[in-house]
Amino acid sequence: MKFKNFFFRSVSITGVPIFGLLILIVALFQFVVPIFNATVGDYITNLVPVLLLTVGAAIVIIGGSIDLSIGTVCGLSAGITMWTLASGLPTALSILLGVATGTFFGLLNGFLITKFGINDFIATLATLNISGGLLIVLSQATELYGAESEFFTSLVYGSFFGIPTSFFIAGAIILLMQFLLLKTILGRRIFAMGNSGAAANVAGINVRNVKLATFVLSGTLAGCAGVLLASRLGGVQAFLGLGYEFTAIAGAVVGGVSLAGGRGSAAAALAGGLFIGTLAQGLQLIGVEPIFFGIVSGLALIIGVIFDQKIQDIGQLRSRFDSRVLAQPPRKEGDHG
Amino acid sequence: MANQRFNISMKKFLSDPILGVIILLLLVGGVASFTVEVFFTLQNFTNFLSGSYFVMLLAMGMTVVLISGGIDLSIGAVMALCAGIVAKLALQGMSVPLVIVCALAVGAFVGCLNGLLVTVVGLPDFIATLAMSAFATGILFIWTKGTPIVGYMDETYKQIGGLAPIYREVTVPMVIAIVVAFALGAMLKKTKFGVHLFSVGSNRLATRQSGINVTNIRILAYVISGVCAALSGIIMAGRNTTVPPDLGGGYEVLAIAAALIGGASLMGGRGRILGAILGEVVLAMTINIINLLGVPSSYQKIFIGGILLLAVLVNQLVISSRTKILMRSTNKK
Amino acid sequence: MSFPTALSTTRSAPIILDIRQISKSYQGVAALENASLQVRKGEIHAVLGGNGAGKSTLIGILSGVTQPDSGEFLLEGSALAPRNPRDAIKSGITTIYQELSLVPALTTLENIFLGRELIIERAGMKVLLDRKKMKNEVIELAQIFGISKDELDIPISEFGALKKKVIEIVKALTFDARILILDEPTSGLEEEERLHLFDHMRNLRSRGVGLIWVTHHLDELHGLADVATIFRDGRTLESLNLENSTVGEITNLMFGIQSNEAGLRTKNDRLQKDDKSNRPEVLSLHAVSRAGVLRDISFSLHAGEVIGISGLAGAGRTELARVIMGIDTRTSGQIFLKGKEVNFKSSAFAYKAGIAMLPEDRKQLGIISGLSVAENISISNLSSVSRFGFIISRKKERELATKYKEILSIRTPSVNQKINNLSGGSQQKAIVARCLNSKPSVLIIDEPTQGVDVAAKTEVHELIRDFTSKGGAAIVIASEIQELLELSHEILVLRNGSIVGRIENVQNSIEKSRVVEIKAEVLALSAGKRLKNEI
Repeated sequence: MKFKNFFFRSVSITGVPIFGLLILIVALFQFVVPIFNATVGDYITNLVPVLLLTVGAAIVIIGGSIDLSIGTVCGLSAGITMWTLASGLPTALSILLGVATGTFFGLLNGFLITKFGINDFIATLATLNISGGLLIVLSQATELYGAESEFFTSLVYGSFFGIPTSFFIAGAIILLMQFLLLKTILGRRIFAMGNSGAAANVAGINVRNVKLATFVLSGTLAGCAGVLLASRLGGVQAFLGLGYEFTAIAGAVVGGVSLAGGRGSAAAALAGGLFIGTLAQGLQLIGVEPIFFGIVSGLALIIGVIFDQKIQDIGQLRSRFDSRVLAQPPRKEGDHG
Repeated sequence: MANQRFNISMKKFLSDPILGVIILLLLVGGVASFTVEVFFTLQNFTNFLSGSYFVMLLAMGMTVVLISGGIDLSIGAVMALCAGIVAKLALQGMSVPLVIVCALAVGAFVGCLNGLLVTVVGLPDFIATLAMSAFATGILFIWTKGTPIVGYMDETYKQIGGLAPIYREVTVPMVIAIVVAFALGAMLKKTKFGVHLFSVGSNRLATRQSGINVTNIRILAYVISGVCAALSGIIMAGRNTTVPPDLGGGYEVLAIAAALIGGASLMGGRGRILGAILGEVVLAMTINIINLLGVPSSYQKIFIGGILLLAVLVNQLVISSRTKILMRSTNKK
Repeated sequence: MSFPTALSTTRSAPIILDIRQISKSYQGVAALENASLQVRKGEIHAVLGGNGAGKSTLIGILSGVTQPDSGEFLLEGSALAPRNPRDAIKSGITTIYQELSLVPALTTLENIFLGRELIIERAGMKVLLDRKKMKNEVIELAQIFGISKDELDIPISEFGALKKKVIEIVKALTFDARILILDEPTSGLEEEERLHLFDHMRNLRSRGVGLIWVTHHLDELHGLADVATIFRDGRTLESLNLENSTVGEITNLMFGIQSNEAGLRTKNDRLQKDDKSNRPEVLSLHAVSRAGVLRDISFSLHAGEVIGISGLAGAGRTELARVIMGIDTRTSGQIFLKGKEVNFKSSAFAYKAGIAMLPEDRKQLGIISGLSVAENISISNLSSVSRFGFIISRKKERELATKYKEILSIRTPSVNQKINNLSGGSQQKAIVARCLNSKPSVLIIDEPTQGVDVAAKTEVHELIRDFTSKGGAAIVIASEIQELLELSHEILVLRNGSIVGRIENVQNSIEKSRVVEIKAEVLALSAGKRLKNEI
């Protein structure tokens, strides 16, 4: 019963369309592309880092901001992990450093926005360039591949009961984020801030700290994604991660996370990310060039936003109707004021 | 009376967004003259200026959009796409004027789409233009199949790219930048549209209540920045001699930084064309100094990010200190 | 009540605006009922009335922002029905609001001609602005109102409040305005600037413009306004010839003392009898200032006590509340809570320390619109509904909300309902519940009953009394003096960010004659002039 409640709250009304769509396209591709089933495991493994980014993007967007830096931060984290591994640090420490890189950039973003009052997308656009630039420098200074650590590669390629390890890792992280958003005090404050920052500020919420927390979370998730990415690829190139932020934001928005803030969930973002990923994979199997994915993401994003606006319109209509029902009968004239 | 006149001219001077960038220009120039010997040579100046015209064009377009209260993150990608169009069509043997017209048309079209997405569809401006950036990059990738387009260069494109001068030190990009600067500057200062552009960015509601079609103005701002990006792309095709698929990456950031350094505001209603030009000169100078100091070019992207942050901070600082000065002067009175 | 006939005979100028029996209601509640008034050529017609008396609805209708349910108005004999502000301006009715409708980035000249610029023809193209011609067209008028030729080329953002008002007036005149509505034109102006503005208004009168002047400042009327129409409860009560009526008469009409109940209801007998010093001091402010907004505010608040804050809009009332809460920072001064100095960095710390706030703008700052009623109630003290200090228990939250729903009789089918679906009164009570749930020792309430119906209003008042009778202390900010008198033990009057008057020891039951006196005094203090001799 309790679980059921949690599940329904996770999916919620706005989640229905995306889960429906997801099931629909999976069914469609299975029908159209015979080898779809065989490749599905692989492709989800490939998708895992982006899904983590999608959830991170969702947290920031629910809080009413945007984080454009997650893609390149993810790439840099992968680079740092690879570099430290290759230079012989213990695997656990390398992983920690990779994740910490993400956390650091999250903190940096958060401080730029809350302490210096810089526009969120300008600040993260700047850190996008800084983190991307650092990866370029790093990749030219050393070779970012060839780490020999079984434990590290097993992060992605190992498996429990036939299911890849990365599924468990990502699943656990996403579940944790879902829990954090829906069941904890911080989560509630993030929603309140996203719905109305000014009102939350008056209602006893330290809006700056909460905003900082959302960026730290998304940065840390980008760090985790980077570690998994490094593990999967085994090598890191200079431009890794560039453009991932866009897929992630698109995924979150398609999943029903409102760019206006205050609405959505980690599960919804996950569904949205899976939807875009499945679509991309399916199209590739049909023979569409992978380069169309940017275009597909862009289209999905636009449609998602329009859809979100329509939902808001419907919600407003409903609340108008409700308030009419709830409104008390007019009092005698002259009574008011 | 004389005092009042002085007050008025003081106010005029302080309200001019160009003030900050001039100070910055002197500052950077001063630092450069102390640190780098070869900085103050004609050779070096023409060198770094010739590499800055295409960003100047982007920054001018960005300034127009910023004045209208929007932002255009697609211009880097649109520039690259238009460079791709030039290369592709030139390879197919199309005549130069026709190629240019096609590229400009594509720039205008993409700008128009941006405007429609922002106004009619109601997407947030940076999301809409980011999506457009993904589209444009996607199309270029499809065309190039991941490898640079080559083999389209001839004498004309060399001239267009500024690799060959048309008269002494005068190059085509220089001429284009000057012509566009004068055209846009006149448009902002002397035409009804220019006034409405500032008006929309400064107080959208009051502008609408004055019976002005706000939507059209905003769309046109994006069209202008699209056309500027196309012009920039045409130059780029000639200058770069090849069109790699990732040509446009990051130039929009430089353009925003230049525009902001030049006094434009993310809040809309502020900005000047001359400011954008000087802003880009400051940027080009800074990058030039960094290069002359022997910092490898791989560090450039990091600096660009840092410069953007600095630009925003300086921009905020200038605006807030200006308000403080003005408040003090009115309080005294 | 009848119109004094003397009025129509003494003034012979033709009527230019004739408002006939206009009514307007919002969601079944009448905001304006058969309002009628006439404005003559070259007349300054003051429109007076308390909050919610219907003045702003009338302005909205005249300026084309809203449309009336019934009734009509005639401008120079022909009926008008403007559908939008532009329509109204074109027909000759311009409204100058408190919030300016000028474009800050544009120059004076560009603002005056915005949307109807003059174009010069060059080489067969009509693109260039003809600034010279525009300047020539407006310069004479501008100079009459003290705008120099140079100032035409300066952006609006560089001007002070008075100049902006004057520029709007000039702009209206270039539209050939025959009726000019000034909504609280002196707000934000310094004393000297007001006098300048009044000169301009006289100038406008002599040009034959009909001025409708909405104001709270009764002391400004004499010697300037010709006629005053008083609004109360959505009706136009009376048009007075101002030459032979006193401020006392006007306040009587505005606040309806005659028809009101005698005196005031009990506040809180037990505590009132105590000597103030017997009760512990909870909150005290020592010379608190915030640059440009608040100046040297000092007072102390004791347990069980309510301090009322009065003052006009923009006097610094809300700003004071925000500074105490730590939402805005103070530039100097000290705040002590229960004897300890505090310096809140955000409202979160204020709530933790025991200060809660109900903000003025309910829609923007009060309710958190996407969240449910229960979530709105618990948000300021989430640890009260959580386990292990960080996990929210929906069950506890629901129980808490249901408890408050019963106590405060919040009308909602379920506490899981989105708060935007509730009526204004119930939303307000939910926010009161939010404040109470943070177990505050000090409650700051900004306009407790704005946009709330009468029944809910008394309920909210009861809640405040109940809170203080249990030892809580409260600061109530309200525009209605009646409301402050009913609730508070002491009233502070703010003007331009300073305390300009204190009314200590407000009694539980006050005779109605004394009520009138206090009201007039508070009004006078707020407006910056003593009117004692007139009462």
